[in-house]
Amino acid sequence: MPKFYTVRHAALSLQLNLKTLSVLALLLPCVLACVLLALSAGSQWLSPLTVLNELVADGRYAFVLETLRLPRIVMAFMVGAALAVSGLMLQSLIRNPLASPDIIGITGGASAAAVFFLSFLAGSLSVYWLPVAAIIGALLTALIIYGLAWQGGVSPVRLVLIGIGLAAGMNAITTLMIVLSPIATSMTAYVWLTGSVYGTNWQDVSRLLPWLLVLLPWAMSLARSIDAQALGDATAINLGIALQRDRLLVLFISVGLAGAAVAFAGAVSFVGLIAPHIARLLVDRRFASLAPVSALIGGTLVVLADTLGRTVFLPLDMPAGVFVAAVGAPFFIYLLYRHQQ
Amino acid sequence: MTLHTHWLTRLTLTCLCSLITCTVLASDHTRTLTHALGNTSITGTPTRIVTLYQGATDTAVALGITPVGVVDSWLEQPTYQFLREQLANVTHVGLETQPNLELIASLQPDLIIAAKMRHEKIYPQLSQIAPTISIDYVFQFKDTVQQMGTALNRQTQADELLNHWTQRVADFQQQLKTTQRNTPNTVSLLDFRPDHVRLYLQDSFAGSILTELGFTVARNQGSHNQWALKLTSRESMPSLNADVFFIFKLTDDPVTQRVYQQWTQHPLWQTLTAVQQQQVFFVDEVAWSASGGVLGANKMLDQVYQHFGLTP
Repeated sequence: MPKFYTVRHAALSLQLNLKTLSVLALLLPCVLACVLLALSAGSQWLSPLTVLNELVADGRYAFVLETLRLPRIVMAFMVGAALAVSGLMLQSLIRNPLASPDIIGITGGASAAAVFFLSFLAGSLSVYWLPVAAIIGALLTALIIYGLAWQGGVSPVRLVLIGIGLAAGMNAITTLMIVLSPIATSMTAYVWLTGSVYGTNWQDVSRLLPWLLVLLPWAMSLARSIDAQALGDATAINLGIALQRDRLLVLFISVGLAGAAVAFAGAVSFVGLIAPHIARLLVDRRFASLAPVSALIGGTLVVLADTLGRTVFLPLDMPAGVFVAAVGAPFFIYLLYRHQQ
Repeated sequence: MTLHTHWLTRLTLTCLCSLITCTVLASDHTRTLTHALGNTSITGTPTRIVTLYQGATDTAVALGITPVGVVDSWLEQPTYQFLREQLANVTHVGLETQPNLELIASLQPDLIIAAKMRHEKIYPQLSQIAPTISIDYVFQFKDTVQQMGTALNRQTQADELLNHWTQRVADFQQQLKTTQRNTPNTVSLLDFRPDHVRLYLQDSFAGSILTELGFTVARNQGSHNQWALKLTSRESMPSLNADVFFIFKLTDDPVTQRVYQQWTQHPLWQTLTAVQQQQVFFVDEVAWSASGGVLGANKMLDQVYQHFGLTP
């Protein structure tokens, strides 16, 4: 029995590991169970059976389930998945396990743009433009990082150092803008900076979905190149990888994923860092294996965090970001501890 | 003569008829309200209302209505003392900034009162739960009264509340003019917070009321939706200058108390007119700011009367 299945096609070339497939087969039911749990939990607990019934035939809970809970859960999952894959790509690109969109300044750039929007434009423009501002902020920051890191090519170390520097700068700008902003907006800005999927409707979902539909398959198509890049620049070039072109592509797909996710849910942190690490504990270190597993884990993490946020302090509705950090921080420390051993 | 009587009868009948139609219309007709977030049609007299900001809760009570759902108050949580009696058994749906949509839906309201400043993002969901009306800013207490009066078919009560307010303002001005020799001109409203000091401007709740009473309150410096200034540096102290300072009573928070100590012991503090004239007074933040409704406004006015030794 072969250990790998190799897929080769004009645009797609990757190897699937049998173990990965079995992990995925186990993970999927777990994810669905979590989603079902999230659908059941809320101000009123509905049994999973009722939920399934309601989803098939509209009953008296249809509004709560289909208009209030489901879009929120779908959004949380997409945001988590996008951030997880974005983090995974950055970690492979920079060859550093601590890389993630929030550490190299992409989330920071989106935050600065979002807070700028909330502070100075929210009165004249509808809040529906907020995601656009955040995505522009993320892309601009990525361009600046890339431009500054360029020195006849981009080396991962330069990229990460400049990224961290820019992240600090962006945080400073965000803080400055909160101080300068009218009082009414600081509260909204703080909620945004924590990350929340509160009040998501289907329209929001349909606006984030295209980003994922384009960028996730595109990321998968680069799987071979990403694995080769992990071996070091010299080896990657020897293997026939167009290193600089692919590095740029990887960076921008990762920025697109993180920027879009953050645009709709705010600066959710830790998911991009942690989900790939959990995935590494489960499957082999091939990008084609890690990406889907990271996406599922990242998505589930945010769904669970938001479920906690919605239910733990009833009737208060807390931002999901609070709980992502609560689950994320201990795990992060555990990870550092293990590396030390 | 007969013809004449006949004509009179007909006229009376017509009048009666139209009167009846009018009453029926008033209680059951559909009216469209244009508000900060769009147009909303309301039929009949809503009875199950959910109020999503403090001023709306206050105004509902003022109009003699007990909402089925309210948001937590900012101070004296979960409900301001002066509203506790009327709102004893009302469901709370979370915070003004992030109310729990599921809970709101489970109350099956027939009208939701929101504010664009807080609820613009969730307006689509709110409108799916029940007809939702919205004002721009939470502290526009007169707009709240007017809008809720129309929406709740309590136009008369709403007009009464506003007329009563206008009369009280006129009475206060009259009394002040006849009893006080030199009334203060400029007033500053200060709020000490852990990380900054707030100077409330003309467009804020208390600022607009003091302006209406005839005092001069610091004005908005251009940028829109600016109802207070955040002062983070003690060097900006001269910009507070006024004949009288009204300061919101300090909370027990030690950090806030330290900020207060630092500001008031600063040499610049002694240069301010109100400090030199010993015209620094503490006021009740619930009435002066957090309540945000017409009842709160009247409570604040009572306290202003008291401050000048006048009888409301």
